[in-house]
Amino acid sequence: MKRELGVIIPAIADRYGVRGGRLVVAVAGVVLLTLPLWATAYVVNMFTTIGLYSVLALGLVLLTGLAGQVSLCQAMFYGVGAYTSALLAVRLGIPPALALVSGAAAAGLVAAPLGRAILRLRGIIVAGVTLTVNLGFFYLVKSAAELTGGATGLYLIPRLDSPGGMSYSSFIFFVVWGLVILCLVLTSNLVKSRIGRALKSMNVLAGGSEDTAQVLGIDVMHFKVGVYIVAAVFAGAAGAVYAHRMTVIEPHTFGAQTSVLIAIMAIVGGVTNPWGAILGATLIVGITEVFREVAPVVLGGATGAYELVAYGVVLVLTLLFLPEGLFSLPTRLRKRHED
Amino acid sequence: MRTESPVEVDSAARRKCDRLTGQSEALLEYRGLSITFGELEAIKNVSFSVEGGEIVCIIGPNGAGKTTLLRMTSGLLKPTSGQIWFGGSRVDRLPAWQRARLGIVQLFQDIQLFSNMTVLDNVMTGAHVWTRAGFAASALNLSSAVAEEKRIREAALDELTTVGLAGRARQFPSALSWGEQKLVGLARALLARPSLLLLDEPYSGLVQDDIFRLTGLLRGLQKRGVTMLMVEHLTDVVMDVAEKVVVLHYGEKLAEGSPDSIRADERVIATYLGE
Repeated sequence: MKRELGVIIPAIADRYGVRGGRLVVAVAGVVLLTLPLWATAYVVNMFTTIGLYSVLALGLVLLTGLAGQVSLCQAMFYGVGAYTSALLAVRLGIPPALALVSGAAAAGLVAAPLGRAILRLRGIIVAGVTLTVNLGFFYLVKSAAELTGGATGLYLIPRLDSPGGMSYSSFIFFVVWGLVILCLVLTSNLVKSRIGRALKSMNVLAGGSEDTAQVLGIDVMHFKVGVYIVAAVFAGAAGAVYAHRMTVIEPHTFGAQTSVLIAIMAIVGGVTNPWGAILGATLIVGITEVFREVAPVVLGGATGAYELVAYGVVLVLTLLFLPEGLFSLPTRLRKRHED
Repeated sequence: MRTESPVEVDSAARRKCDRLTGQSEALLEYRGLSITFGELEAIKNVSFSVEGGEIVCIIGPNGAGKTTLLRMTSGLLKPTSGQIWFGGSRVDRLPAWQRARLGIVQLFQDIQLFSNMTVLDNVMTGAHVWTRAGFAASALNLSSAVAEEKRIREAALDELTTVGLAGRARQFPSALSWGEQKLVGLARALLARPSLLLLDEPYSGLVQDDIFRLTGLLRGLQKRGVTMLMVEHLTDVVMDVAEKVVVLHYGEKLAEGSPDSIRADERVIATYLGE
């Protein structure tokens, strides 16, 4: 099968070239955006979740793939956006749409001083510190029960105003994928710009050099913090939408394990390419759903977090055979075919 | 050859430095500069100046502190004591990126091209100091950012044409020879529009043809008003291109003067040049 794919995919790529790639994206886009018209609510909800994780992973594409900065606290900014938007709507009665924007902005406001402090550190220490910060956020939200609802969660979060004649899950699906497209466009624009070059130049993980960047007039710390804020705003926006989608939020959703999961999505999909974020999110959410829904049936009602094992296996296999992520698969197959 | 770019540098400090470049005043001045790494005093109380438009070469044996002096000048190392003045302003406390914005740009011995970018993108990075598009304008692809990007691209291709590598713009640095990589590094540094170019052994590893080519380019730059402070081991090249030579020995300034006077200096002959 693998051998056949190794022939078929390059042949299609040779035959249709870039146009073929665009055609695949266009068809996938049409299928995706018409999903609520023909798919079950379960599938629509699953793709809404994929969309939310795609936005979170896109933040890491900017932060890690482009700028070479490691961060394991994307889930915290997801939570900051969710709790800010939910609290503003629940406690102060602010309209959900306005609260949603405030949630994204709050994540950026938290990221600015935090990034300035954390990004002075280097290497693996940054991963440890950001993970610890995420843990601290989890316990803070859990402890401040009077404000946040603590471990039992914050309830009765108002829904966004949806147009009549459309189910709320379909409406949220379009909101989420609208956000994905927006973040994808913003990310792609940044990658190709003066800012993208500045971020690449200081990416020590991929052939950049901070010293060289500095002698070319690039304020490395400014750009590190800047991209950290952008990634946090993406996560905050996703969190705010999540809060108004679920109408109830609880701290576990925004724990350190979610940050690790987002990192796995980005790595598996391909952290250097915006499309990799969507591929990674699709694969990992797909695995989660298969193991949660199918495994108990196949295994005779057995329960257990089998998906965690699957995440590990997929991550290891990716690092071994496709270190640049799933996105690089067609290119690799084509090169192999040419050789 | 390079044409004048339509983009104006609007920094007041930069204009001041540019004015100074065209005059025969000291563009760069070291005053009692020292740096210590633990017990090692790598530069000891060094003082000398570089006039606008000059090519000054620093020579000396390995470990003399030549590269350390360049890195202190560009801001990658902070002196333990002493001062660095550039264009009439004290700069030794400024970070490297701010000094680059004043017009001090360093070209490293190992070039340090960004291997994750094409040749053109590498050179375009040099335009960072005189461009403005921020995160918002770039992410939203505003017309101002698009227009600026076009100007950067044109200016970068212009510099690549100057060094004779416009045809390699789409390639990655790994596809280029060492000499070509040096020229790309030079083009990138030039796009930063330096008043003072710091060159760390620009001739190292070059074959004879590339040496002639680089010398021609450096002379062309001098005519454009770029001042150069160069560390170099090739004595013949130094004596050919430099207006002034400074000799460092174990972190101390041993001698300073014209190439002829340095060649005749007995202390320099004894410690570095030989018979």
